[in-house]
Amino acid sequence: MGERFAVLQLTGCSGCEVSMLNAENWLHENQLVYMPLILSAEDIPEVNTLLVTGGVYTEDDLYRLRLAARRARQVVPVGTCAVSGGVANLGHRDAVRQVFFDRMERRHVPRLLPRCRPVDAVVPVSRYLTGCPPTPELYMALLFDTPGFEAARTVCIECGRRKTRDRPQRLIGFHGGEVDPEMCLINQGYLCIGSSTRGGCRAPCPRAGHPCVGCRGPSTGFIERSSEEWLESIQRVFRRMTDIPPEEIDRGIRSPQFALFLFQFADYAEAPRDKDKVF
Amino acid sequence: MPTLTVPLSRIEGHARAVIEFQGERVISAHFQATELRGFEMLVQGVPAEQVSVIVPRICGVCSTAHHVAAVKALEDACGIAPPPRAIQIRELMMLGQLIQNQATSLFLFTMPDFPGREGVPSLFHLDEHEADIAPRALAIRRLGTRLITLAGGQFIHPVRAVVGGVTSGLDPQAMQTMRQELEDSLALALELVELYWAMFAGLRERIGTLGDDEPTYYLASVHKGHAYYGDVVRVMAPDGSEQHSFAASEYGEDLTLVPVEASYCDGWLYRGQILRANSLARLNLLPEMGTPRADALLRRFREEWGYPAHAILLFDLARAIELIYCMERAMDLLEQELWKGPFRVACGGVEGEGYGLVEAPRGPLIHHYVIEGGIVRQARFLVPTQYNLFAIERALEVAARRYISATSINMELVRAAGRVVRAFDPCIACATH
Repeated sequence: MGERFAVLQLTGCSGCEVSMLNAENWLHENQLVYMPLILSAEDIPEVNTLLVTGGVYTEDDLYRLRLAARRARQVVPVGTCAVSGGVANLGHRDAVRQVFFDRMERRHVPRLLPRCRPVDAVVPVSRYLTGCPPTPELYMALLFDTPGFEAARTVCIECGRRKTRDRPQRLIGFHGGEVDPEMCLINQGYLCIGSSTRGGCRAPCPRAGHPCVGCRGPSTGFIERSSEEWLESIQRVFRRMTDIPPEEIDRGIRSPQFALFLFQFADYAEAPRDKDKVF
Repeated sequence: MPTLTVPLSRIEGHARAVIEFQGERVISAHFQATELRGFEMLVQGVPAEQVSVIVPRICGVCSTAHHVAAVKALEDACGIAPPPRAIQIRELMMLGQLIQNQATSLFLFTMPDFPGREGVPSLFHLDEHEADIAPRALAIRRLGTRLITLAGGQFIHPVRAVVGGVTSGLDPQAMQTMRQELEDSLALALELVELYWAMFAGLRERIGTLGDDEPTYYLASVHKGHAYYGDVVRVMAPDGSEQHSFAASEYGEDLTLVPVEASYCDGWLYRGQILRANSLARLNLLPEMGTPRADALLRRFREEWGYPAHAILLFDLARAIELIYCMERAMDLLEQELWKGPFRVACGGVEGEGYGLVEAPRGPLIHHYVIEGGIVRQARFLVPTQYNLFAIERALEVAARRYISATSINMELVRAAGRVVRAFDPCIACATH
């Protein structure tokens, strides 16, 4: 029946679970023993692999994660929230936090922690599965070491849009102009960061005409370095391909939408993460 | 005062039912959300044009609804209307979402509750002779995700809808493949729905006799031949008459938010009264669906259960009809020339106040933003699970009265609480947005 595994959902959106359910054969070859979304089980049993989705945001999350991790041979944070705290980091701004605590005072419910923490800030982990959420194909590759699974180094390589000599002068916002269906989004003036984002997702967003926002985090070379270095690599790409002022790029990549995903590894880690553990 | 806490699984997110009683007297029954997302606060200070990428992360199940509601709200603020083609593509995403959601709720969440299967932890643990249900249910469910991927770009958190329209059209080849897949799978889906219908009949004695099948107000933003895109919220009164309808911008006139102390989910009342949204509300507000197979099922539904229908467990069966409707309707839309523009109208910049409404899987979802200098200053989300909160709690209280006596608690209550809650298919990530 395969190895026993469990899925522990902390504070998150369930998108990682929804994606996982689409991975073919995942259940036939492994034995799922805990996943409250689709399976009623009171306790987290002993397992080989514990997949954890969502960030550690309540005292309940903290308790359940610690308990579950003790019963698992390996712990794998899945998705951006589990890897770095994800979208909840938008609340890690003084003004917003103040609103949070003013408006969300409640009784008899698990208390919120001062901020949302990634899984590896609480328990040791064996590997990371990145993406918001990871694709079914990535789940399969992680769980079963799918033979023949290959990921390109970056999203850019998987996208396949045509690069041209067009050198845009300004960034087009996400909502300006018609998107050319074939041409590279950077050549069109979109702030696409697929050139520095970890491949493996098969580039669904840029293919659909929306710039890559970097949800899989940096490509392998940048994982063990600070986000500053990743941001600089994005700048280099835009210098090479466009005449857009660097300040404009800098403002763009530091804006909230990107911040969700850009600051995933070194910045939020208690210690640098090992690049060989990132999937 | 004794308190009974019932942990809940096979729902989206973290919640529990808490019942307080004294002797045989049930003092209260609460449905408590034990997690908080907080997106109304998270999006403050965010550039408006980025909202449509951030808000799908409220919920991975209802992401498409948030994605589309957000762009509709921003378009409302700019005073622009997207081209018809863009609307069709957005509708297709919404249909994909509902196929995925209804298949999940029907098969993965509620099927293990049927008589004879009590104590089965999941769909994957059914007896050998029913072991083939799970893979077939997952196959139908997967169609929904594939449709979201085709129409929405990304497979869970769509990206294609943008202020003014959509980024691009769809690939004709991929559309044809998808249409064929839907057509090939329709027989399987109907078979599963029949199976569900038959299992559901096993509950017959309990349906409409639970004690909380009293009529309430029903809210839905659908009309015949719709694709869940949402234009106005329609209201049916408890006596079955259609009360009135209101635009998203008018929600404040009829809906009031009631803060809840011991939960991260507050609840809405309609003119001070309990209301219900979700599948049954939609069916009650529709004379017919508008596609042949779904309409045949709807006629049968009304012959068996009457019209309008009020029994809580019928929410589940209504989802089965909608599953078929969505597949049929998606096939129709896939025959349109969704590769031909225009896909987008120009938008100078987002500014001012805007409201966006869609019919999400659980009912009318409203996004309301105040934008200043292109930055979100205020955001408010009206989420269907919050409309249903007090209806869920009333139903829990009725169930508790039924199973708690002066001398004992019938632990069937735990199962009943699960059934009642799952009938409303609550989504806690959305509810605590």
